[in-house]
Amino acid sequence: MGTRDTKEIYGGSLGVGQFLRERGLRGTVAYLREHGVRGAVANAREDDRSLLGELRGISVAYLLLAPTLLVSAVFLYYPALEALELSFHQTLFFGGQRTWVGLGNYETLLSSSAYHESVAITVAFAAAVVVGVMTLSLVVSFLLYEVDWGQSGYLIAAIWPYALPPAVAGIVFLFLIHPSIGTLTAVLEGYTGLEVDWFSDGRQAFVVVAVAAIWKQLGYNVIFTVAALNNVPATLREAAELDGIGRWTRLVRIYVPLISPTLLFLVVMNTIYAFFGTFAFIDLMTQGGPGGATNIMIFDLYRNAFEFNNHGLASAQSVVLFAVVSLLMYAQLRFSDERVHYGA
Amino acid sequence: MSRHSNTNTNANASTSTNAPTGGESRRLIDLERGLPALDGATLRAHAGLLLAVSLMALPLVIAALISFGTRATFTSVSELSLETAAQNYRDVLFRYDMGQYMLNSLIMSVIVVIGKLAVSLLAALAIVYYRFPFKNAVFAVVLLTLMLPVPVRIVPLFQLAADLGWANSFAALTIPYLASATTVFLLRQHFLSIPASLVESAKLDGVGPLRFLAFVLIPMSKGMIAGVSVIMFIYSWNQYLWPLLIVDDQSMQVAQVGIRLLQGVVESGEIAWPLLMAGSIVTLVPPLAVLIVFRKPLLETFGVQ
Repeated sequence: MGTRDTKEIYGGSLGVGQFLRERGLRGTVAYLREHGVRGAVANAREDDRSLLGELRGISVAYLLLAPTLLVSAVFLYYPALEALELSFHQTLFFGGQRTWVGLGNYETLLSSSAYHESVAITVAFAAAVVVGVMTLSLVVSFLLYEVDWGQSGYLIAAIWPYALPPAVAGIVFLFLIHPSIGTLTAVLEGYTGLEVDWFSDGRQAFVVVAVAAIWKQLGYNVIFTVAALNNVPATLREAAELDGIGRWTRLVRIYVPLISPTLLFLVVMNTIYAFFGTFAFIDLMTQGGPGGATNIMIFDLYRNAFEFNNHGLASAQSVVLFAVVSLLMYAQLRFSDERVHYGA
Repeated sequence: MSRHSNTNTNANASTSTNAPTGGESRRLIDLERGLPALDGATLRAHAGLLLAVSLMALPLVIAALISFGTRATFTSVSELSLETAAQNYRDVLFRYDMGQYMLNSLIMSVIVVIGKLAVSLLAALAIVYYRFPFKNAVFAVVLLTLMLPVPVRIVPLFQLAADLGWANSFAALTIPYLASATTVFLLRQHFLSIPASLVESAKLDGVGPLRFLAFVLIPMSKGMIAGVSVIMFIYSWNQYLWPLLIVDDQSMQVAQVGIRLLQGVVESGEIAWPLLMAGSIVTLVPPLAVLIVFRKPLLETFGVQ
């Protein structure tokens, strides 16, 4: 059964009835015989699915939901609320002793120039990563969409970074443009006249980490962008070509507006990635340095919590980050409802 | 002869009234013949794509080449040898324990995939096929966990896992990940596209929810299940921050953090870099293999969102 295709099982082939009857699904078989799956799918939304519930009672529903709700409560909601609670305390002895300080930790953050710098670095980093990823992946995806042959080959060649572990991306870049022994360092210095030393030059470090983070995120974006482009009716391209509209005009004026819901979704996902998913890059490549140039908020939080054991302050930073995620999610829902043109 | 050339010009003229540029009209004619169009624009697109995918692959190609050598900088391909490569990969896997880390990563990811799938299938079954009080609220409670990534609850989560005595255990590495808003949502979307009247028949047959799930829903959702499994596997394999914190016993460490340990052990020695690149390559292989093998269901699943 495991190897057979779904359609083969339910699309009316003969082995199906036997298979289902063995398991006592007589009525199901009759249903499938009568309607076939395809026709049934079309009507699916109008029908009421909630019939198992009436028959079996609501306790079963909650029983089925119990594992999800239990894990969510214990490992997601409880720690999140506990983080909020902790953020109002000063902690001593590895969290063993707590003193209520009210908004003290938040005041510390507000008045800390190092934290301000960290926020500014994070915003700049997220902007660089989002703009870089969006631009590059859009161009690659559009070219991929436009070529007539070799698409599947190009697609695999373009989406593989989706599987790339961040730590691998970080360590490979760390090596490639290592100031003294990096393979690309000599090439880069030869062509640009630049002196590569991002271990002591903050701006260079920022750029190197951003490039590594962009590289890793390209695959994810290409998957979504190509899927969105493939939903645009093919006739549109023919019409545009007949009108002699050039490739880049076509991309910017026609396709970008049409796939804007996907692009907006990607902006939000890439921002979340830049804020939370790039920890490994910082940890392996720069440790937040040099001079705080790559000290993004999540790395600062990690250090406060687990190097300086300042759990209260770190929790306040967690709450700030939670506010950021919430805002992003809210913005996504809001904008995708109002402004965005649903083409497909 | 003259008649032949006459029809030719007519054909050209009729096309070019629609398409003013020569390249575009030629392309249309080629398409009609079923041949790939080879005008300037197409060639430029292929050149651009080749350049882009080559640049994307370049860092990895260099890393792979370095892992075949004895020194961090190589001047010619003749310096690279299979023998050295075998030695490097053997060293990194066994002397520097990457083999153990990889195994740990694999166990962790398989538990997460199977556990998440089981837990989420049950939840999606309840949400789609049952009518119960506070249904929308429950669904919202599940979806809102999207706003609670590990970093916003890291300190209490760490304390909780430590209090439970879970440090250095697969329980800590996997159980907090078993609830998954994305998986529940994707499965729910898919279940909604399955004919609702199947339930009626199932009810008539006296089929319980678990048998309905096992014999009707799961066989009808194989593609989607494969897709979300790939997403979950890659997500789990690529975890870094949480294992870094909760595991300090080296024999329990996962491959991602293993690279960091490797970096510490072999830092900047002449011979060390090829080992580090070998470690990077082996860490990439499992998620990449899964992506390539299951790319079709993966792409279909991504298309749903």
